[in-house]
Amino acid sequence: MENTKHQLQVVYGDGSLGVLSDRVKYLFSYERGGLESLTIDGKEWLYRVPKPLFWRATTDNDRGNHFSEKSAMWLGADLFSACDEIAVAIDGQPIELPIAPVNNQYSNHETADSVAITFTYLTPTVPQTKVEINYQVTADGRLQLTANYHGQAGLPQLPAFGIKLVMPTPAVSFEYQGLSGETYPDRMDGANAGNYQTVGMPVTPYLVPQECGMHMQTDSLTVNRRSTLNNADADAQEFSLMINQNGNPFAFSCLPYTAEELENATHHEELPAKRRTVLSILGAVRGVGGIDSWGAEVEPQFQLAADQDYSVSVEIGPQV
Amino acid sequence: MIPSIEWLDDPEIFSQGTVPAHSDHHYYKTAQEVQQGNSFEQSLNGTWQFHFAPTPQVRLTDFFDSQFDPAHMDEIQVPQHIELAGYAQIKYINTLYPWEGKEYRRPVGTESYSPENSSPFATSEMNCVGQYRKQFDLDKGLQGQRIKVRFDGVQTAMYVWVNGHFVGYSEDSFTTAEFDITQWVHAQHNVIAVEVFKYSTASYLEDQDFFRFFGIFRDVTLLAEPAVHLADLSLVPTVSDDFTQGDLAIQMKLTGESAQLRASTIRVTIADSANNQLLTQTMAAEERTTPEPLHFDEVTLWSNQHPTLYHFQAEIIDATGSVIEVISYQFGFRKIEIKNNVVILNGQRLIISGVNRHEWNCQTGRVISEQDMRADLKTFDELNINAVRTCHYPDQDLWYDLCDQHGTYVMAENNLETHGSWQKMGAVEPSYNVPGSVPEWRGAVMARAQNNYEMLKNHASILFWSLGNESFAGENIAQMNAYYKTMDPNRLTHYEGVFRDPAYRDRISDVESRMYATPAEIAEYLENNPDKPYLNCEYMHSMGNSVGGMKSYDDLIQKYPSYQGGFIWDFVDQALLVKDEITGQQVMRYGGDFDDRHSDYEFSGDGLLFADRQPKPATQEVKYFYGKY
Repeated sequence: MENTKHQLQVVYGDGSLGVLSDRVKYLFSYERGGLESLTIDGKEWLYRVPKPLFWRATTDNDRGNHFSEKSAMWLGADLFSACDEIAVAIDGQPIELPIAPVNNQYSNHETADSVAITFTYLTPTVPQTKVEINYQVTADGRLQLTANYHGQAGLPQLPAFGIKLVMPTPAVSFEYQGLSGETYPDRMDGANAGNYQTVGMPVTPYLVPQECGMHMQTDSLTVNRRSTLNNADADAQEFSLMINQNGNPFAFSCLPYTAEELENATHHEELPAKRRTVLSILGAVRGVGGIDSWGAEVEPQFQLAADQDYSVSVEIGPQV
Repeated sequence: MIPSIEWLDDPEIFSQGTVPAHSDHHYYKTAQEVQQGNSFEQSLNGTWQFHFAPTPQVRLTDFFDSQFDPAHMDEIQVPQHIELAGYAQIKYINTLYPWEGKEYRRPVGTESYSPENSSPFATSEMNCVGQYRKQFDLDKGLQGQRIKVRFDGVQTAMYVWVNGHFVGYSEDSFTTAEFDITQWVHAQHNVIAVEVFKYSTASYLEDQDFFRFFGIFRDVTLLAEPAVHLADLSLVPTVSDDFTQGDLAIQMKLTGESAQLRASTIRVTIADSANNQLLTQTMAAEERTTPEPLHFDEVTLWSNQHPTLYHFQAEIIDATGSVIEVISYQFGFRKIEIKNNVVILNGQRLIISGVNRHEWNCQTGRVISEQDMRADLKTFDELNINAVRTCHYPDQDLWYDLCDQHGTYVMAENNLETHGSWQKMGAVEPSYNVPGSVPEWRGAVMARAQNNYEMLKNHASILFWSLGNESFAGENIAQMNAYYKTMDPNRLTHYEGVFRDPAYRDRISDVESRMYATPAEIAEYLENNPDKPYLNCEYMHSMGNSVGGMKSYDDLIQKYPSYQGGFIWDFVDQALLVKDEITGQQVMRYGGDFDDRHSDYEFSGDGLLFADRQPKPATQEVKYFYGKY
């Protein structure tokens, strides 16, 4: 710890926890129940706090086999899971939640080698279950982001599980190391592993807007943007966020819409203007199926039972 | 012949005055014209005068008359769907009949039919009418000869007049209808008039899962015939058991004034794929000219990998020694058979990496161009697709030529689907099924089988005759099967619907065909002493984001020799590119988007390609699995 340059500055605020490194600065909000701000070199990457992701826009096959009707509770969970508990650890040691008056003990020069903060969300399902989203910031300013779903018997199958990151402005492109094309657990034999770039955030033009753009088995992903919502930022240089796998490959989609926006549209022209980036980082994805579109189930090995645990973990930081 | 609107309600009247179905060979005045410019043909495509009548009652009663003043008629393009010209509401419905909930009717001859309980087509409030009229002069090359008019596709029922004379009536929307108009046509100032009804009893047989369009949607052509003419050609190439030698059986039906015919000769020339002449033979012309089969000591087989075609040419030579007609056709040697319960092509197990293909273009509907067809075959190459089922009707004739040349295996399906007569809300309920075993419907479906067979019989690419789609089973379909087996012992028959009524199992279909069976169901069939090879006439329903789990079907190929693969449903989304009423942008629309009710909405969007022919993401999976074979 001699090299203080590589320590994190910690700001024990009254409503939030600031974790600041040279380039990357984090603001965890107790009020909003999650990471409210992630800036890299001053550019904001979050529009709203990341939330657990459960829903996918109903595919034609989902409609046919009534999956969405049976699993509709997860749509509510996707929209309305509430933060129930927040836990903070500094240098691996849990501390009492540093809100007033507990935070009166701190100063303007608090540092740490690592900061961990876990937000626990309860689902509005019957029965209820919980998801922890854990943020671990290391001295170099990088973030390990992990989400854990706790299996619960009595719940319907999950459409998907992961974390939804909504960014303030649209991505201009993304690059990833993973599989070619749009892939799902039951539709990835034909894909080739490699490095791929996608310009814009194409929404696959299925006749009725639906779940699309999934990329399975991803090792790394870079999202590139050019604009911010900051009125004082006139810079048009492209800037990037990099997401690496942390132990296991992850699945992702990078779209201009939430699952709910897609869900509501019966035609593409009904979708709103593309103004955000919705990055879904997933540890579990239901297959799309294909036997027929009026009742056939997705093959059992590609269904997501709700009584199993699921998790996803990635490392996030500036492009290296 | 006096036309009657009552024909619309009589299933036993489906063609009047038509030329008997025959092979689709083209014929030319000279060998040069084979390459370009057929002076025996004159296109009637283009602008026609048009009147739209929303019901039969308000149609013009004298528009076909030579003296009729067409000044108040509109104009329409031929070919074009009347709906897409803006006259009639666009409608998409899948299984239920398009009059669902609007008019009550039952098919003639079924138990629940009575004239009192059924809304007649002739007076139906829904039965709109397109009245077409065109003036024409005969091109020089056509004058002074026998003249026919050929309609390649008109939906659903049409009446034809030339110069005020009634010429004939035709149904079966997807095969050619020809009328001999020699006695009524002049060199100049002719008027042809066509009256097309959207619905007739034929609608019971054309309940395909598609947009319910009507009108003249394929080419209209005038054809001149020389004094002696090859009316029908049958080329039956067969292959020796060791696949090295071949025979070609030729049958030619000639028409013409008998003295002239008897004075003529026919010179037949065969060339190989590189156009090296292999043999030539001159024979006396007879009404039925059937030379001894031609023997080939060495043949190169036709297949998907090597679509080797031979050239057949016949020249009709008159008494003066002049060539008066030249016929050119390509044929291929291949052998399809079932051995040890496995479908074998040229001695090897046939693995079908297929798709179902509707004719579709998002701007013009089922009016498609040669460019569309060639684009589709290019996509077949890219995705390793080796077979196509022409769901659920015969395609434009050119498609089969292109498949011959391209090496695409074809399941040639009849224009027959009666889905709404036996399946309601997903349940099998065949109480008023047609054609079933109902005698009144036999003639119509047998004619459809005949039209399909006679027109397409010489195509190397066709391996299977398909009796139709989703029409349940009964004596009439059994008779269709028997017809094909009699006419063509060298190809296989296919029909899925017999699965619904196993009583006909021994009489219908050489193969066990199912649609959307799960891999487990297929394995169960194949594990239990199967008596027919198995194929999926439809599987992997590519609707929206789909085609998951294809590996489980691929595994069956490895495991069971009697599993022959199948045809993915389907090739291209059926959706229409229209102008958004709000933004003015071009957008894709589907059933229900035109206020059409009852509709099956987006259910026609199940292609491997989007409606604009861009590939869906799932194609990379198809390319991979189909590329294994």
